Amino acid sequence: MRIVVLTKPVPDPAAGAERLGPDNRLDRAASPTVVNGNDEYALEAALQLVEAHGGEVVILTMAPANGTETMRKALAMGAARGIHVTDDALAGADLPTTIRVLAAAAGQEAFDLLLGGLDTSDGAGGAVTAGVAARLGLPLLSTAAHIEPDPAAGRVRVRRLSAKGYDLVEAPMPAVISCTQALGAPRYPSLKGIMAARSRPIAAHSLADLGDGLAPADGAWATRVVAAEPPTARAAGRTVTGSATDAAREIADFLADRRLI
Amino acid sequence: MRLTEEQQLLRDAVRVLADEKIAPRAAEIDRSATWPDDVRRLLASHDIFAIPFEERHGGLGSDLLTLCLAIEQISRVCATSGLILAVQALGAIPIQVAGTVEQQDRWLPGLASGEMLIAFALTEADAGSDPSGIRTRAVRDGDDYVINGTKRFISHGSVADSVVVFAATNPDAEKASRRLSAILVETDRPGFKVTRVEHKMGIRGSPTAELAFDNVRVPVANRLGDEGQGFAIAMKTFERSRPGIAAQAVGIAQGALEVAAAYAKERRQFGKPIAELQMIQSMLADMDAATEAARQLLYAACEAIESGNGDAARWAAICKLVAGDAAMRVTTDAVQVLGGYGYIDEYPVERMMRDAKITQLYEGTQQIQRLIVARSLLAGS
Amino acid sequence: MPALVLAVAEVADGSLTRLSTEAATLARALAEAAGGTALGLVVDAAPAGPAAELAGYLPRVVAVTAAELADQVPAPHVAAEVARLLGEGVTHVVIGATTDGRDIAGTLVGLTGLGLLANADTASWDGDAPVTRSVVLGGRAVTESTLSGGSGIITLRPGGVGASEAAVPGAVEPREPSTPAVPAAVVLERVAEAGAEVSLEDARVVVVGGRGVGSPEGFAVVEELAGLLGGVVGATRASVDAGWVPYARQIGQTGRVVKPALYLGLGVSGAMQHRVGMQGSEVIVAVNRDQDAPIAEVADLFVIGDLFQVAPALATEIRVRRGG
Repeated sequence: MRIVVLTKPVPDPAAGAERLGPDNRLDRAASPTVVNGNDEYALEAALQLVEAHGGEVVILTMAPANGTETMRKALAMGAARGIHVTDDALAGADLPTTIRVLAAAAGQEAFDLLLGGLDTSDGAGGAVTAGVAARLGLPLLSTAAHIEPDPAAGRVRVRRLSAKGYDLVEAPMPAVISCTQALGAPRYPSLKGIMAARSRPIAAHSLADLGDGLAPADGAWATRVVAAEPPTARAAGRTVTGSATDAAREIADFLADRRLI
Repeated sequence: MRLTEEQQLLRDAVRVLADEKIAPRAAEIDRSATWPDDVRRLLASHDIFAIPFEERHGGLGSDLLTLCLAIEQISRVCATSGLILAVQALGAIPIQVAGTVEQQDRWLPGLASGEMLIAFALTEADAGSDPSGIRTRAVRDGDDYVINGTKRFISHGSVADSVVVFAATNPDAEKASRRLSAILVETDRPGFKVTRVEHKMGIRGSPTAELAFDNVRVPVANRLGDEGQGFAIAMKTFERSRPGIAAQAVGIAQGALEVAAAYAKERRQFGKPIAELQMIQSMLADMDAATEAARQLLYAACEAIESGNGDAARWAAICKLVAGDAAMRVTTDAVQVLGGYGYIDEYPVERMMRDAKITQLYEGTQQIQRLIVARSLLAGS
Repeated sequence: MPALVLAVAEVADGSLTRLSTEAATLARALAEAAGGTALGLVVDAAPAGPAAELAGYLPRVVAVTAAELADQVPAPHVAAEVARLLGEGVTHVVIGATTDGRDIAGTLVGLTGLGLLANADTASWDGDAPVTRSVVLGGRAVTESTLSGGSGIITLRPGGVGASEAAVPGAVEPREPSTPAVPAAVVLERVAEAGAEVSLEDARVVVVGGRGVGSPEGFAVVEELAGLLGGVVGATRASVDAGWVPYARQIGQTGRVVKPALYLGLGVSGAMQHRVGMQGSEVIVAVNRDQDAPIAEVADLFVIGDLFQVAPALATEIRVRRGG
């Protein structure tokens, strides 16, 4: 099987330093970058599928030039190679452009499955994978908690999380799947994986390599952030200590005052 | 000291693993004084045991500094766990420096994968700093050696699959340094017994055992190097293993420093964080300086030893000496910074202080290290 | 081109979701501010009832009967209907930011190249374009964003817009379905899992069990309080990873985002990745043994105590006040 996994380098949420720059765009230099959390779950799922069915996992990333460092972290988990789309013209790219570019790059690979994380910690729109599927004219199986391909029959089944449990969903391959955390915790790369990753190939593509008309000619993105501010601080809260019955009474009074009980 | 990209990558990967998987276990390992086999399996599955072994044996082929970086990162959160890697590396060195190609191919892959554990058995009840007191005998009988004796204070002795035993094959040799041979003994051989496991002040999860050899028969093919080379092999081993202990000590010191600094920023007395008090700042600064100095000396020592510097013994001794003393000083001061809270097990610094002490004792006491340094210094004059 | 704002509704269990009414209210407000009109879209195997309800919020509702939705995923079908309406003059599309909603929005962006303003809490009309307000970067910033072109898509988070009916109910316009431009995956089976039935985003009260709950059995006290307060049980990533509750209940960066009137956390430490999922709650009460738990930073009332003592005591107190 060949599985392409969309991976995005994002500012490390754990570092707590994500912020917007003076132009209201994400200041990507402010924090160390890591592979987007949900993408790691997708990547782990892909690695397990390839371990079971044979084949290779290819990571696809659209990122600035230094994105290769973060791609190495994904390669260290076991992906065979990477595709890095990088172009100055893509700095601050909007969603439609991102979708067109990723679809164009993925379209050059003959894949059985294209996996993406449910959303990103820096964008959180949760629309990229669906957009890429639509652009490629492929079926989307979203919100996956379990993935079961049948390569012989050319089909894939996915458990799609629902409000009540899950829906068992099926489509012919090639197909596109957005992945949830329920697929299972991503592995820590082994040291051998880390060392091997250094020599795994990353093919670089510019916009021109992928085709014409993928980004707006005048560089005008479809959306822009016009203002940004820190969130309004909550008023300081009150702390309660003491016996459980006293605390319970205080909570009940507090809730009653606010007509919550 | 500039680390290569590879060294940084491996160090950072080990740090993440240590923080996320080992640190949560550290207090329990100490409290229960139980061998953490889960940590051993973690180190194996992440190729951390592979660091000091050549690629042809399934290792990563990394250098001594890389090994020390890994030991340091693990020891920062758990000294017992850091020692797992250090002891495995220690036990393998005699095979690496004195074993034949066939012996290396036979034993090293199992150690590199972490499937097999090895221990290093030199010390006896009457032979600590003074190895001339070694009484364990290995008597040649046909194609075998028959080993009788007792070893004491052997790290991992009760969990190891094999032990490198230093036994007297030539007890009557004129020079004391020619009496011993190094022989690898698989612990499933009849006559091998673990007779005691110590209750220790620190590194309580690391099993320190007394090993009894009662007519243990091993093939001559298990001998490493020539008869009578045992002492030389042990000395050569220490050149590469003492930095590992220094790394453990630097890690312990760093861990304690971080806890103390974080505590000082949160703890408020006299209306402000104690980190704003000059006496606390002074202590923390000295702790940082001592740790950094020990670290940089360790890294320099690793480079010197790896590059075949003729005075490897002096480098190994000096870095272990400085790091051990730094660890003891820094952890003691860490407890002091935390005050009463430093004395209870709610915070890890009391454990770190108990753990630090061993770095001044094993793999050559600080006094032995000083003799080595002085000898090297004065040899020139 | 005059603004024509479309609200895409979602149907769950044969009924219109509350978020759909919020989207409809927003569409109407944007249209009024822009001097244009609003309309609604319901695509379902049985759209009549939900469409009639949606007509209480909008002057015109297109109701598409799509029998395929009984056993196909909805996004390609709904996207096809929206695309058709875009071709008929719709300028802006408002969709609830749910699982299906995001898929529909993404599919539309892929098909049309329109811009997307994602995860809006509210939106207003400014000049010739809508401006949305959303919380980004895990709660670190609040941004205002706008569309550069004359058209675009907005996905709307629950609870940001209060639903309100129109003065005059609108008309429902039934339609035959269009052909989806992209293939729809087939639903072979819908499986209900015990404990998964939950609508966290719609809940007025959410009671969350964190690491301190300690076990699946420990969740009994969480459930008891949720029941008494008329709320829903939620969980932190720690509880889900430990296997005590299903992932469907996870609140946080990689789970659901909730904005209930009351969030009550029991044994929740309040790590940042959880806080981003609940810090918009109106009232936050937390119980934790650890006085330094980060949840204290966002709690309106923080109780230092053992949840296994405080929660039952609170349950008793509530029962007593209710007279028995």
